Amino acid sequence: MMNRFDHLPTLKIDGNTKIPFEYKGKEYFGVQGDTVATALYANGVRMFARSLKYHRPRGLYSLDGECSNTLMEVDGIPNVRTENTLLKSGMVIKEQNVKGSAAYDLLGFLDKLDWAMPAGFYYHTMHKPAMIWPLAMRQIRKAAGIGKLAPDFQMPGTYDEIYPTADVCVLGGGPAGMSAALAAAEQGLRVILMEARPWLGGHFDYRTAAYKDGQTLHDRAAQLAGEVEKADNIRVFTHTSMVGAYNNNLITGFQIGQDADPFDERYFEIRATAVVVATGCIERALIFDNNERPGVMQANCALRLANTYGLLPGSKAIFSVGHDLGLEAALTLHDLGLAVACIADVREDGQDEGLLTALRERGITVIRGWVAARAHGKQVKKATLTSIDGTATQTLDCDLLVASAGLTPVTGALTVAQAKLRYDNHTGYFLPTELPANMHAAGRMLGLDSGPAIEASGRQAGLQAARDCGTDVDAAIRAVRTEREHLSGPARGTKFVTAPVKGRKSFICFDEDTTIKNVKQAIDKGFDVPELIKRFSGAGLGPGQGGIPGHNLPLYTAKYQALSDITIRPTTVRPPLVPTRIATYAGAQHTMFKQTPMDAMQRRDGGIFRNIGVWQRARYFSEDFTCQAEIENVRKNAGMLDGSTLGKFRIHGPDALKALQRVYVSDMAKVKAGRVKYSAMCNDDGCVIDDGVVVKLADNDYYLTTSTARAGQTVEWVRYHTRYDGWDFALVNLTDSLGVINLSGPNAREVLAKVVDIEVTNEAFGFAEYKEFKIREAIPVRAMRLGFVGELSYELHVPSSYMQSVWIMLKEAGKEFTIRNFGVEAQNVLRMEKGHIILGQESEQRTNLLDVGLGFLWDRHNAAAKKVGAVALRQAESDPSRLKLVGFKMENNGRAPRDGAVIVDQAIRGYVCTARDSFTLKEAVGMALVDADLAKVGTRLAFFEDECDGKLIYGEVVKMPFYDPKGKRMKM
Amino acid sequence: MLFKTKPMWGRQTGLKSSYDVVIIGGGLHSLATAYFLARDYGITDVAVIEKNYIGFGGAGRNTAIVRANQRTSQNVPLYKEALDLWPVLTRELDYNLMFNNCGNLNLMHSEAAMKAARMNIATAQFHGVESHLIDAREAKEMVPALNISEDITFPIHGAMYHPPGGVLRHDAVVWGLARGAARKGVEIHQQTEALGIGTQNGKVTSVTTNRGEIQAKQVLVSAGGYSAALIHGFLGIKLPISVLTIQAMVTQPLKPLLNHVVSSGAYHAYANQTLKGEIATGAHMDPWPNYTTLNTAYYIKHQAEALSEFLPCLRGVRFMRIWGGLADMTPDMAPIMDGNNQIEGFFMDCGWGYFGFKSCSAVGKYMAEFIATNTCPDMLKPFALQRYQEHRLMGETAALVSYSPDN
Repeated sequence: MMNRFDHLPTLKIDGNTKIPFEYKGKEYFGVQGDTVATALYANGVRMFARSLKYHRPRGLYSLDGECSNTLMEVDGIPNVRTENTLLKSGMVIKEQNVKGSAAYDLLGFLDKLDWAMPAGFYYHTMHKPAMIWPLAMRQIRKAAGIGKLAPDFQMPGTYDEIYPTADVCVLGGGPAGMSAALAAAEQGLRVILMEARPWLGGHFDYRTAAYKDGQTLHDRAAQLAGEVEKADNIRVFTHTSMVGAYNNNLITGFQIGQDADPFDERYFEIRATAVVVATGCIERALIFDNNERPGVMQANCALRLANTYGLLPGSKAIFSVGHDLGLEAALTLHDLGLAVACIADVREDGQDEGLLTALRERGITVIRGWVAARAHGKQVKKATLTSIDGTATQTLDCDLLVASAGLTPVTGALTVAQAKLRYDNHTGYFLPTELPANMHAAGRMLGLDSGPAIEASGRQAGLQAARDCGTDVDAAIRAVRTEREHLSGPARGTKFVTAPVKGRKSFICFDEDTTIKNVKQAIDKGFDVPELIKRFSGAGLGPGQGGIPGHNLPLYTAKYQALSDITIRPTTVRPPLVPTRIATYAGAQHTMFKQTPMDAMQRRDGGIFRNIGVWQRARYFSEDFTCQAEIENVRKNAGMLDGSTLGKFRIHGPDALKALQRVYVSDMAKVKAGRVKYSAMCNDDGCVIDDGVVVKLADNDYYLTTSTARAGQTVEWVRYHTRYDGWDFALVNLTDSLGVINLSGPNAREVLAKVVDIEVTNEAFGFAEYKEFKIREAIPVRAMRLGFVGELSYELHVPSSYMQSVWIMLKEAGKEFTIRNFGVEAQNVLRMEKGHIILGQESEQRTNLLDVGLGFLWDRHNAAAKKVGAVALRQAESDPSRLKLVGFKMENNGRAPRDGAVIVDQAIRGYVCTARDSFTLKEAVGMALVDADLAKVGTRLAFFEDECDGKLIYGEVVKMPFYDPKGKRMKM
Repeated sequence: MLFKTKPMWGRQTGLKSSYDVVIIGGGLHSLATAYFLARDYGITDVAVIEKNYIGFGGAGRNTAIVRANQRTSQNVPLYKEALDLWPVLTRELDYNLMFNNCGNLNLMHSEAAMKAARMNIATAQFHGVESHLIDAREAKEMVPALNISEDITFPIHGAMYHPPGGVLRHDAVVWGLARGAARKGVEIHQQTEALGIGTQNGKVTSVTTNRGEIQAKQVLVSAGGYSAALIHGFLGIKLPISVLTIQAMVTQPLKPLLNHVVSSGAYHAYANQTLKGEIATGAHMDPWPNYTTLNTAYYIKHQAEALSEFLPCLRGVRFMRIWGGLADMTPDMAPIMDGNNQIEGFFMDCGWGYFGFKSCSAVGKYMAEFIATNTCPDMLKPFALQRYQEHRLMGETAALVSYSPDN
């Protein structure tokens, strides 16, 4: 195990607390504060993984997870970004996608076959002859993919979700973000500060360069973090990555739980009035031959290994950089003991004089206008440097090649929020030109590089966000603006992308093994914009998305096509900005179904439930899914069905009747008090969307029911279709406040009579009548005599809170008749025997009122009512091409066809809606939708069932209803 | 190097002042129609004009699932032919469209859904399309990752298994058709925006673009989600189309895990594994008309919740990218293909909703026949706009659809 620094002020590790873990079957130790990758690095691991396509060895490159170089399997979970996953005791770490190991991978030879795999090669190969493609595909599938997931894998852990609101949400806990949060908090606003790393401080945190007045950047970070922690109205969420931004400042993200947290990961959805984006910069990859070899890493990666994790990243280093931070890193690392062989800086001039002097004092050579051209060795042993015009080269020994072309702003949060970015020639960044309402950007992502300027820009953004929240901060904003005039503005950045090499092994995208040469091939083929190059070459489509190629690809494309600065277009960034687990997005995973008041009792009675729309309903009461016993009991005795899911409404007010006339097809003026009227609603195509009953309570005061499925939409429907009329009515949804008991069967009257005080004889309470009464002088009941199942039947509408009581009373009363529950399937068969339809079962979207035989409901003469669907119905009357609902019986007393069987001759002519072998009728009956010319009684129907092998069964169209055609039983 | 590099759809040329046929939209239906016009009828004086770049719209935003288990007998044969054309096109275009004939498994979560599936299956089998109803256990054998336990929101009752379906590489189809059409002489003009269609005496005469006016006697609009707005803007023809955002996403790549396309109506989710190993998933639309391709927060969360239930092992993998596209929905979820009806020389091919990819090969062939012969092929006759005026919906969806309160 490597020695660790233990005296640096910037360290985030506790070298004294050892953490054991398992790697490739052996036990190793890291220390408290390590990430998995830094712990491995400390144990001498340099090759963490192999690349997707060429199986090139890959090592630690950035520490921020922009590429898949350090993806490993941790505790059985694939594709864990080990470079920013904190090490926990007992973790089991495995390599992925290798034959052998990451160090010795048998598939490494693929790297030599790159000549056979130019960009998009698979589009031109493996399809001739056609028979080889399925075989090739199997091999491709096996070769592709990183990480394994077993089909029975169970993701461990607890997942939570949280929906906080804030006045101001600040993304990024660096100096700009902290300054913004403090500025907004000083105005008394509620602030949320999100930071992906475990601590605040951003790039200040790991740097020991001077901030000002003798204070180091690190100390300044600590000072700001202290102030943030003291502010009561700033909620700080560390370990929290922002992943999406949506309309009206909805920010999503997730937090990784620590030991004390009751969750492993927690999904965030934050609604904020204003948002400050201060996500800083990452380094832009430098492209040269073998630029992704283990031993090549970015400047801040090298610096953070030392300053944050106490690990000197190598012994002898070459630096090839394009910005002052690279020089600063070289200086710091040299002082910590790293031998720096030389620094190649792509910039001819413009370096910070102080840094140059300090480097000179230490005898470190800085060669300006030079760049790394090639890294040698499977793990870097040597590096060739070249002048950027390619005319001179020299090769030096090293075990670390620190390579960084420049910086690139982390603009993902802006782009997913639909900000417009434009390429800026001075900074070389894509800078925001148009931001969404109440969103502000600040800090290093705007090109600023001096500490005070970064903080001032953060304060300004925080104040602007405060202004969005309605505070009076204009004077303060003016003051910050004035202050900023005296501070340095955006720094000049480099646009350098690639060393002067042919690019065959120069990788612009590590995850997809896309080289500079591949990009040239794509452009030459006519893929001339970065977005298409990305699709054709794969650059930026891997696990790290655009992290590595996002900025270089448009720069290089523009350069290769000799485009001007203004036409450099970024590729699209898409959420999630940080890859997010499905378990995390799913969060607490609440199941939400509505339960009727009878739910628990029905379950106790053996109900087998199904989810139907938003409800859970008892479909069966025994394992016999033909429901014979339930059906026969209703036909011969008495049964009870929980119909509470039915939509229930009251409509009242001066124009209530007019509204009913508009949406119902019938003449609702004819609804008489004390009577129940069955009717239907159509849409503008005349198609039946709902049926139910209407009861007149008083003038312009009605009670009505809808089907279960339509309960949610009915108010909107009625309002929509009366929107221009200015009518005065109130429509109240009573669905959840009332339950429904359907008491049916020849003994229903005897049962009811024992519970209620009113007269229930056929004379006193006849068919299609409506009564209101109280049970035991307490429970108000609305009762209707209906006949959906074809028997004497009472529908009792009871306040939900009394449902169980009434149910129990009826059950007690029915004991002597052995009353029993029946479920939705029994009802389905009973009503089918009676020829009553269920919308959605005997109808589909295109079926109109006439098609299902309900034309008699339509009041075709009331044009003034402008009934919804009337125009279409009138037209449909003379249309012979529609499907019609018919009843049928089977030939030779044959079995019923399966629901969904199609009716055929040379073509498909219709299909079976519901058909059953009826216990009651002792024969098979059913309903079908058929072409109009097959609808005549006596027509022979041929049924084609799935898997029938062409063997048809036959039936004949008959009159409906099948059961009790005269309706004596329901009227008895 | 093995492969010569030259621009796949020809060098950029100037726009001519006249073409026999102008096709507005550079997506799959346009490119396929152009290809078949050239292949079958020798009509090569064709310009495909695209505002952005080819494949920018739905062609590049779908998840490339193909199948022929539609609901009605008007649709099944069309999609069957589309399926049959993939191997033919792969050969003719000499471009690997990467048809993964993995079969589709459409999960059913209720008795009612099983009945609906049976009707689809009977219809498919009657038309000679292979499709079977299987029970939950059989589904689990095919897709071991499935959760067939009772304790999920929508327990799995069974599935409709459709072996001839599968997945293609959508970009390959775009590029292959573009290359094939260009090689036969069709001109593809990217960054060329149609601004209007000129008519005289009820006949099409020209197309106005941002690069000048083109004379043309026949114009096809097949511009995906933008078709309805273009047709209304250019010609005043109102179409019963609601445009909605539909989203899809992929996870980080995994070793082979799913060997079929799995979809669920109840969960509003489908999932399949791409050749690269990503799990591609998506399904329902944002339930309001919307011409943007913006993502929404609830969508990706919904998807995660759904997959967590019926493919729970996926909880361990990460989403890495989500994107949005447009679905141009008609009231009956069947497309509008029409021509020479409203205006002579004007053809439209739109309203595909989320079926545009799976139909493009066959529709290209028949739209080409329609344009070349000026006679509507029998296969396309049921899809004319007229049906809505007569309130005769096609029945591709059984359930009521509602994109806005008036539907």
